[in-house]
Amino acid sequence: MKRYDLIVVGAGPSGLSAAIEAARCGLTVAVFDENAKPGGQLFKQIHKFFGSKEHQAKIRGYKIGETLLSEADAVGVKVFLNATVSGMYMDKEILVRRGDAMEHCKADAIIIATGASENMVTFDGWTLPGVIGAGAAQTMMNLYSIQPGQRVLMLGSGNVGLVVSFQLMQAGCEVIALVDASPRIGGYGVHASKIARCGVPFYLSHTITKAEGPDCITGVEISQVDDHFTPIPGTQKHFDVDTICMAVGLSPMSQLLKMAGCSMIDDPRRGGQVPLVDENGETSIPGIFAAGDVSGIEEASSAMIEGRMSGLSAAAYLGFLSEKDKDSSLNELEVALNSLHQGMFAPGSKGKAFTKTDEGIAVSQSLLKKGYLDEADIARFNHFDKKSGVHPVIECTQNIPCNPCQDACPKDCIKIGKTITALPRIDADSTCTGCGMCVASCSGQAIFLVDEDYEPGYASITLPYEFLPRPQKGDLGTALSRSGQPLGVAEIIDVRSAKAFDHTTLVTMKVPVAQAMTARFYKREAQRAEL
Amino acid sequence: MSKHTDIIIIGGGIIGNATAYYLAKKGLSVTVLEASKDIGIGGSSRNGGGVRQSGRDTRELPLAMWGIKNLWPGLSEELGVDVEYIQKGNLRLGKTEAHQKILQGLTDKAVSCGLDVRMIDGDEIRAINPYLSDEVTCASWCPTDGHANPLTATLGYYKKARELGVRFITESPCFELRKIKGVIRQVVTPDAIYEADKILVAAGYDSRRLLATVGIDVPMKPMKMECLVTEAEPPMFLQMLGTAEADFYGHQSKHGSFVFGGSSGLEPFNKDNGTPISSSIGASCTCRGIMKYFPALADAKIVRAWAGWLDDCADKVPVISPVEEVPGLYIACAFSGHGFGIAPAAGYNIAEMMVDGQSIIDLSALRYDRFKPKQ
Amino acid sequence: MKSINDRSQDIGPFVSQTDDGVIICRCEEITKGEIRQAIHDGMFTVNEIRRYLRSGMGLCQGQTCGRLVKNIVVQELDVIPAQLDPATSRSPMRPVEMKVLGNEEVTHV
Repeated sequence: MKRYDLIVVGAGPSGLSAAIEAARCGLTVAVFDENAKPGGQLFKQIHKFFGSKEHQAKIRGYKIGETLLSEADAVGVKVFLNATVSGMYMDKEILVRRGDAMEHCKADAIIIATGASENMVTFDGWTLPGVIGAGAAQTMMNLYSIQPGQRVLMLGSGNVGLVVSFQLMQAGCEVIALVDASPRIGGYGVHASKIARCGVPFYLSHTITKAEGPDCITGVEISQVDDHFTPIPGTQKHFDVDTICMAVGLSPMSQLLKMAGCSMIDDPRRGGQVPLVDENGETSIPGIFAAGDVSGIEEASSAMIEGRMSGLSAAAYLGFLSEKDKDSSLNELEVALNSLHQGMFAPGSKGKAFTKTDEGIAVSQSLLKKGYLDEADIARFNHFDKKSGVHPVIECTQNIPCNPCQDACPKDCIKIGKTITALPRIDADSTCTGCGMCVASCSGQAIFLVDEDYEPGYASITLPYEFLPRPQKGDLGTALSRSGQPLGVAEIIDVRSAKAFDHTTLVTMKVPVAQAMTARFYKREAQRAEL
Repeated sequence: MSKHTDIIIIGGGIIGNATAYYLAKKGLSVTVLEASKDIGIGGSSRNGGGVRQSGRDTRELPLAMWGIKNLWPGLSEELGVDVEYIQKGNLRLGKTEAHQKILQGLTDKAVSCGLDVRMIDGDEIRAINPYLSDEVTCASWCPTDGHANPLTATLGYYKKARELGVRFITESPCFELRKIKGVIRQVVTPDAIYEADKILVAAGYDSRRLLATVGIDVPMKPMKMECLVTEAEPPMFLQMLGTAEADFYGHQSKHGSFVFGGSSGLEPFNKDNGTPISSSIGASCTCRGIMKYFPALADAKIVRAWAGWLDDCADKVPVISPVEEVPGLYIACAFSGHGFGIAPAAGYNIAEMMVDGQSIIDLSALRYDRFKPKQ
Repeated sequence: MKSINDRSQDIGPFVSQTDDGVIICRCEEITKGEIRQAIHDGMFTVNEIRRYLRSGMGLCQGQTCGRLVKNIVVQELDVIPAQLDPATSRSPMRPVEMKVLGNEEVTHV
């Protein structure tokens, strides 16, 4: 029998974080993961994270994964990959499949961090090839460099649906529409805006009523739904698509905990069947902990903190850490976790319809319904007294826990303050140098540099650009509005990339000055060679 | 709704459900009280599905033979649920001389009761089932044995009984049985006291605790056994299989999956955590047992393994009996891991016994008071 | 709160619905209509439905349909989701070949 102080099941953000903390306290730790690559979802997450510095904000998920892995390695955590935990039995024993053999392992403590699986909704034809989970699409694209399809319809407007829609476009797919039965977009407005400005239409209060195709998807029919989410006859719309992506939530993969006899509850707010845990993540069986999505669906940043908490708790449980040291560490982490649990998208705010921001500004209904801010919203949220020359325009209108922009500006132009969910304000006394650090640091791609005085009659707009191929200086293309409508010709006057921008290219385009506050994206015209 | 019915059955397993069905068919009003949230969640749906006569103790063999002759063939039709009854024989396999001896002994006893069962050699075995390894050298062969689906059979009886008006109450653990004026009358649950003229205790091992509340005991112990099931495979064979060594038993189901049970030899000492949790070694051990007999199944994928408790009787034979000491009380428990195949016959005969005072098959060898100390 | 423990309660007649033909359990190809009919046959819990129809007993072990089946029961019986336990969780968590499962280092228990 192989024995460890601690076994962690799942090498995702929470599992690795738990293992690292425990190993730092001196425990021998083994992490088992059924996948060929560690990191869980992190290595699919090519977008920049939200939060603050301590949450690794503005760092891309896969980079966070790489950091976790090297930390785990440094503190002596053994990570076993292609190692499927087949069952968890009495006396903290697991059976692991490795290659063509089974191994029995025991530990004095076990942390289950198995994450979640994707939910599905059913409609006529949902079992046809071409209907996939958004997470599956992400795996295909970002781990295996495979395009899931050419023309994709996304169902679900939560952050997963929004982020994956953007990634589908980055991978060269066409996102035909984003559909959600809810009357409001579920995820961050800034994520929705990234897609809307590329011209993707949102169909809220709609659902898929039929996937069409003889033996694989060739089209999809959506219908409007009433207040009870029942499709309204006669409202059908058809789209030609070859792929339907579903981002309709996640369910905790808590089967190991249930099998082992941990007390479980059904908690819709946490995504389904989850273990009963105390504040340290300990289940009803002493020494068995749960961390991350398996104990309630959240996102990777929270999962990492919860993982660290459970790692420390396991260390204390086994006497590697004094109760006093544990408590002080946990208190710090609790503060970090709480700061993520604030704002309009906090776990406690689920289902709430906010009419005003914390600052007392009426929220943008257009953002919630169509994915972009309308002109009245812009007027309402932009308090900047324009001085001459270049200046940032921040289109961040929801209270979300995120503040990298405040640290990004070398001139301290941008202020958020202590409350991480506060909307960023532009300090009128500071001078913008146009360095673009704020543009690149904004995980929501919601900061633009505008210079109304670029040339007589013309303004320059600097925007974040994460598509390939990059525009070249001198290119002529089309300026797009926030809703993706073509506004006219735009000329690329600058293209900047820097290590500090971390793969976000800053593209500066020249547009008629009247479009200074309406043009927000650039569409490349197909180059001659591509035609 | 009235808390009084003609009969209360404690235990919503296949014995309780089948008895309820046959009682309702006779026109009696019946309440079935099930302690857990699910009907048929105990041994009834955790067994390997054997419908065997061979290998049985001679005291229960008549019941098995009667059921196979009279009830199993028409059961799907009667219940309106496919119980997947297949009557294509049972091979009990052996590889050694010791096995041969065990099998011969069982066969001789069964023959004396009039069962068509005989010993066959390796060639004949492989003529019946070509997938068996050459290691298999002997077997008992009973062509009238078979197998069925324990899940649909258990729930089929439930469905049909419910249709006939039997009242099923789940999550209704019984605390105690109560006599009124010397006659069994009440069942006390957390939510209500139920009353009936007659009460059947068919609650598996839990029957022991219940019966103790009226001063009756059946010497049995719980034993945790394990089963597993493969993914669906192409049709290979239809027989029910067992071994002399009892290292595995099972069959291929109509669905295509193979359902196997097995033992690691440590079963009497298995522990649990209050649920029938699988052990970490059971399924692996059963796989090794199976592969020795069926090398062709080595690549079949196991999709699920589970455990269940047997109500293991002191003499490995059930108690099916009226309790004269407590008038109106009846017992059907201690089936010792081979109750499924005789469940329809048991249910039918218990119903007869409870209504007419006389079962069709003489069950006196299965009385509750048969356990005697050494003289 | 409505209880599902009294299995004689009147849940109304089985009325067919337009989407009864939609497959819910892909592994075992069980439709919504079959699940609804099973509920009317008295199968009020996810475990009972699973054992009656094989929904959730295929290769994925109900990973996908578990939630869907539960929602159908919630609708059909007009109860709240927390009243229904999900199906039992069983090892192996992923299908494993017999020759692999049987290939363990046997040690002291």
